[in-house]
Amino acid sequence: MRLGRISKAVGVAAAAAIALSACAGNSGGTTPSTAAAASKQGGSATVVEVNAFNTFNPNTADGNTDINSKVSYATHSGFFYIDNKLNVVRNEKFGKMEKVSDDPLTVKYTINDGVKWSDGTPVTAADLVLQWAAFSGYYNDANAEAKTGTSYFSYAGDPTGIALTDFPELGDDGRTMTLKYSKPFADWEIALGGPGIDIPAHVLAKKAGLADTKAFIDLLKGMPRGDAKAPKPVNTQLKAMADMWNTGFDTKTLPADPNLYLSNGPFIVKSLNQDQSLTMVKNKDYNWGPEAQLDEITVRYIGEAPAQVQALKNGEADIIAPQASADTVEQLKALESQGVSVDVGNQLAYDHIDLNYSGPFADKNVREAFMKAVPRADIVDKIVKKLDPKAAPLDSQLFVPDQAPYADSVKNNGSSAYQGVDIEGAKKLLNGATPEVRIMYNKDNPNRVDAYSLISESATKAGFKIVDGGLGKSDWGKALGDGTYDATIFGWTNSGVGVSGVPQIFKSGNDSNFNKFSDPAADKLMDELIVTTDKSKQDELIQQIDKMIWDSAYGLPLFQSVGVDAYSDRITGVKYMPNQTGVWWNFWEWAQK
Amino acid sequence: MAEDAGSRTWAAAGIEPVLEAKGLSQGQIVRKRFLGHSGAIIGLVVFALIFVVAFTSVGYMGIPGWWKYSHTEVSPLVNGGAPTASLWLPAWGEHPFGQDRIGRDLFAMTMRGAQQSITIMIVIGLIAGLIGVVVGALAGYFRGWLEAVLMRLTDIIIIIPALLLAAVMAQMAGRRDQGSWFASFASTNGVLALGIFLGLISWVSLARLMRGEFLSLREREFVDAARISGASNARIIFKHILPNAVGVLIVNVTLTMSAAILTETALSYLGVGVKAPDTSLGLLISQNQEAFATRPWLFWFPGMFIVLICLSINFIGDGLRDAFDPRQKKFNAKKATEHPGAAAQTSVQTSAVTALDEPERNGFQHDDFRPDGSADGTADGTRGQ
Amino acid sequence: MVTYIFRRLVTAALILLGASYFVYLLTAASGDPLEQFRANPTPQKQQLMDARTELLQLDTPAPLRYFKWFGGAVQCLVPFANSCDLGKNIAGQPITDALGAALVQTLTLVTGATVLAILIGITLGIITALRQYSTLDYGVTFMAFLFFSLPIFWVAVLLKEFGAIGFNNFLRNPEVPLSASLGIGVVAGALTAVAAGGPLKRRLLAGAVAFAFVTAVLIYFSATEWFKKPGLGPVLIAIAGAGIAFAVTLLSAGLKNRKALQSALIAVGVGVVLYFLLQPLLNEATFLMIVLLAVAFVLIGLAIGYLMGGYDRGQSMRAAAITSFLVGFLILLDRFMQAWPTYFNNSRVRGRPIATIGASTPNIQGDFWVLGLDSFTHLILPTLALILISLASYTRFTRASMLEIMNMDYIRTARAKGLSERTVVMRHAFRNALIPIATIVAFDIGALIGGAVITETVFSVRGMGFLFLDGIEHVDPNPVMGVFICVAITAMVFNLIADLAYSALDPRVRVKA
Repeated sequence: MRLGRISKAVGVAAAAAIALSACAGNSGGTTPSTAAAASKQGGSATVVEVNAFNTFNPNTADGNTDINSKVSYATHSGFFYIDNKLNVVRNEKFGKMEKVSDDPLTVKYTINDGVKWSDGTPVTAADLVLQWAAFSGYYNDANAEAKTGTSYFSYAGDPTGIALTDFPELGDDGRTMTLKYSKPFADWEIALGGPGIDIPAHVLAKKAGLADTKAFIDLLKGMPRGDAKAPKPVNTQLKAMADMWNTGFDTKTLPADPNLYLSNGPFIVKSLNQDQSLTMVKNKDYNWGPEAQLDEITVRYIGEAPAQVQALKNGEADIIAPQASADTVEQLKALESQGVSVDVGNQLAYDHIDLNYSGPFADKNVREAFMKAVPRADIVDKIVKKLDPKAAPLDSQLFVPDQAPYADSVKNNGSSAYQGVDIEGAKKLLNGATPEVRIMYNKDNPNRVDAYSLISESATKAGFKIVDGGLGKSDWGKALGDGTYDATIFGWTNSGVGVSGVPQIFKSGNDSNFNKFSDPAADKLMDELIVTTDKSKQDELIQQIDKMIWDSAYGLPLFQSVGVDAYSDRITGVKYMPNQTGVWWNFWEWAQK
Repeated sequence: MAEDAGSRTWAAAGIEPVLEAKGLSQGQIVRKRFLGHSGAIIGLVVFALIFVVAFTSVGYMGIPGWWKYSHTEVSPLVNGGAPTASLWLPAWGEHPFGQDRIGRDLFAMTMRGAQQSITIMIVIGLIAGLIGVVVGALAGYFRGWLEAVLMRLTDIIIIIPALLLAAVMAQMAGRRDQGSWFASFASTNGVLALGIFLGLISWVSLARLMRGEFLSLREREFVDAARISGASNARIIFKHILPNAVGVLIVNVTLTMSAAILTETALSYLGVGVKAPDTSLGLLISQNQEAFATRPWLFWFPGMFIVLICLSINFIGDGLRDAFDPRQKKFNAKKATEHPGAAAQTSVQTSAVTALDEPERNGFQHDDFRPDGSADGTADGTRGQ
Repeated sequence: MVTYIFRRLVTAALILLGASYFVYLLTAASGDPLEQFRANPTPQKQQLMDARTELLQLDTPAPLRYFKWFGGAVQCLVPFANSCDLGKNIAGQPITDALGAALVQTLTLVTGATVLAILIGITLGIITALRQYSTLDYGVTFMAFLFFSLPIFWVAVLLKEFGAIGFNNFLRNPEVPLSASLGIGVVAGALTAVAAGGPLKRRLLAGAVAFAFVTAVLIYFSATEWFKKPGLGPVLIAIAGAGIAFAVTLLSAGLKNRKALQSALIAVGVGVVLYFLLQPLLNEATFLMIVLLAVAFVLIGLAIGYLMGGYDRGQSMRAAAITSFLVGFLILLDRFMQAWPTYFNNSRVRGRPIATIGASTPNIQGDFWVLGLDSFTHLILPTLALILISLASYTRFTRASMLEIMNMDYIRTARAKGLSERTVVMRHAFRNALIPIATIVAFDIGALIGGAVITETVFSVRGMGFLFLDGIEHVDPNPVMGVFICVAITAMVFNLIADLAYSALDPRVRVKA
């Protein structure tokens, strides 16, 4: 149900949603499954989503809900997509993305000939420039405090990396763009990847009164980087385009102007039934990436998990991905006899308990004692085991088991000390003290409430006096980091791909470092991490940071959220995906039996 | 209905032998009639049982109960959490109603939930009854500007969506120690606060109804008589008019009470009712609605208690309505033909109607039978339809 | 009178103004609009919060923000200016558009349910009042209270499981086993026996007839695969029409009025003839045509009654018109049934017609009949759920009102002067009992616009209730205010209408200006 959904959406990094819902890619990376190969071309499928579609531009601050990103993912293509092992897979049929030099980091994008929008206009470097301008915030010179300057594109994603670039170099054939970074940037591969290239520059240019995309490029080229300290008067043409980009694509009904929903991907939106359904049909021209099997995908919106399950059971839906709960999973498993397939897997979100480095927990021994008293195995058994029999406590603060380096990191990071509840050990560390601990959590999230009940039960045995500091859903978020509690149970979302998220949570003094963890050595490693472009070097650094965090008795990761998807026997080729793209990640492999 | 009404050839008024004729006091009549209403008696017994079990089993307000678990206590899962009670070999077992996923005893939780639901119900009954009577009586008795002001106040409360108010309430109850005394009260006494709040908005239908009663009763001869003999306004209101309106009052209050349980259920379902780790019947079934097919006991036991409490209260209310209504005679067309003389009883008192300054549905107890009486004309979904 | 209405309207406007201010403040205070960003660990957290702050104008305190909203809303009062501005919701859609769409959804969902609940509720109320303290009365009371006590989402889950999924599975191979036919027959017989009333012998007879009839029909349906290819056909329409003619005459004029009965029967005959004539026309049906045909059927009935004449021409006309209308309805029903196989085998429906969610099958194409059936299969479950839970208040209320009236002096007078029971009940009692019911109905229609929050959620209908809830969830006052204004205005208008209707229906209540 929607309320539950909202409270669970805690810690979902909006940027990750954007960055990860990458666009259609190369089928060379993943060969279609045999089942899909055996099924016929054509047919249709109905997919259930929770939220209703409301904009064709999923990159804006107000438009970046999962459904918009998913529709955009199916209707646009780009240089890469992310597979369900969380690897970046290049789509060479769309174009090439190559690192030309390491110092300075230079990336060259080339779009293949023949890639075009559904109105016949080729996809060109101008479209890349638009994406770059929107994502980088290059021209923004707004100063929030002085209320001067202008903020043009309202981009929801993380601009830190791409903001390091200057105005790109463009090739003469209009199909290449080269970005030069002023500092190395670890996540360069996904920096320009919104869900592919999704807003056509020629449409925006026309709306802004510019003759063509050349005029558009010239306009941008002529403008210097925005400087909040020395704001310039508003450039009305850019502002017109930005406004169009920000809100012009918002709609709940199919626009009369087809330019507002141009596709350059496998599908194109055919009809929109306000708040009820959305239908996409195959884009006939498309041949620059994995080709879709289905002719038509219909998306229907159902908020509640039980309603989704019953819709699947009744044949009104073919693919669902309801919010997972033990009962939902069990109900779906019971449908397996009717040919329904159920995939259960981890999600990138995980719940954890963080201890403040102050108050009763200023003493490391007290923190350790508390950690020894947290019944992690019990929590996992009672909260997630029923959903996923393989579930185990999460043993890393930085990796999730779906990532290859997880196993290595777990071996060395010291998490082995907290495998079981050790009340005696905790008592010894406390040495007779009975510290009073106030635990803050979201009272409206049943998982957190249950985790709290179990932790409080066990910690009381070790001698802690537990105070229930649970807050309602509208208040707990505000309380984060305000020092009114000693420990807090909540969730983060691991971005899965990319490393920029690490320092946000763990670096001294950062906004999201709510418990005030501070370790100069770790800070240094994190500074190094975000400018490291080599994947194996990154993993090595993260492992070191992970160990430092565990060594300082930071708190404990509890469990990863479990996701579930299910599909009827009409459909084949659906595969589980841990990130926000969900089952959509390989929609081209879906086929009707 | 068609054949029944039309094909009857006998046609005569029939009234059951009248109790009043024996010269009983009103209290005696009411008691006799009520005790003769089998639905109401069954309802009363069921409700009394639930009440006693709920409040003694898990304790209340710090007084320990006889049941071995509390509603927050986590114990190891027995039998995968399934109920251990059996009917064939009557036995309680360790967890008669089963356990939830982390091992809390469902019997304890259900009993706690029943306590909370009954508390909400009673609080609402008291508050709505009190305010409704006072506002209705003042407006109906004194008329004039007081009536205008009070009735416009009820109009405002009627159109403000209850769901919205509940959301604000829930948010305040979610706060711990920041904010006003009210916030801190609400956070520690969530259920009480919810009951008070619902009481504060569900008095309007009762007030309208009481006003109607007062409007007609104040014109009656016995009121004039009292006034002439020098009775004060307060005395007239409380000693002369109110006893005559008490039937309507009690009936409306009982029905508001049973609707209150459902309102609480709906609010908990929408996430703005009682908050975990405390519990209520509504919260239990809305939390466990997904368990409907897989662990049905989590859903059925609390659901059964909601239905039982509502049904028993409704039947009690129904019995009271029949018992208190002075105009209500047991009418039976068939018997009428057998007792032709029965018609010769005292004439049925119709409500005196005065020239109202505005149209009024006085004398008709329509709101009694809108168990969702608080919902008039508002956007609230609290009845959950 | 006019002064009175004027005064009421002015007061209503003032109340609306005050209440809207209050509601606006409440919505703004109902939560943290930035909650979803609070635990966002990314650097653009601030930026996202800023964007939302700007969108919802959170930097203006709510007491002042109201006036910005009010500035736009007040333009809605300017007629024909088309400058109505109720703001936008978080999805960037103007509230006026969102309200329009939501209103359509809500009205399709609740209108049928409310009308049916009122009709069934009033009927049950009258029957239970006439048989106070009978088994039937207790049974209906118990069921009404039971349904009233059930949480709607529970009812909805059960309905979906058995009414949709179970029934669709059944339709795959629509065979009713003999044992099931007998079982259903026994239940139907028992219910009829309880409901029939009268001496034991009569009850048993009625029960036996019902048992035999239901069992036979089920066996027949099963053998002919009727559920796959349903239909009535002219013979059944004629038989059912004759039944209707008798029932309508019985209620409206009494069977002693031979002319009325004859008129009604002639209307049935004409209807059966029209059945054949209309078939080609109905293939091209549109909604307007159906409405026109309905009017035509009523007119034909009136004409027949007029021509038959008799000592009470009005009664004949009424009986014939109602019968004719109902026969027309049967013809319509038959035509829908004829379209059933087409709908059933539609590639979008795939043989599972009864839906659990939404208001229509996405992308379905077809003629008037197929689309009509599509709406029907989507509406049937939520409508049933709503009827079940709202039946109680109408039943109980009608019963009480009826009981009160039946004890009035003038009813005794009517009986004493020898009027038939039908005339006493239908003419004297029921009409007067209707007075308070009418006011309740007016009241409920006002509330109806507000939608049914939980039903909408469970059945995935995005109507007014959903819009309201969504607004509260995002702490966005605009949609909340939009719904509130619609509901409050309707409620107040209908409240006024209820008061006026009351004084019009009951001459003892006077409106004093």
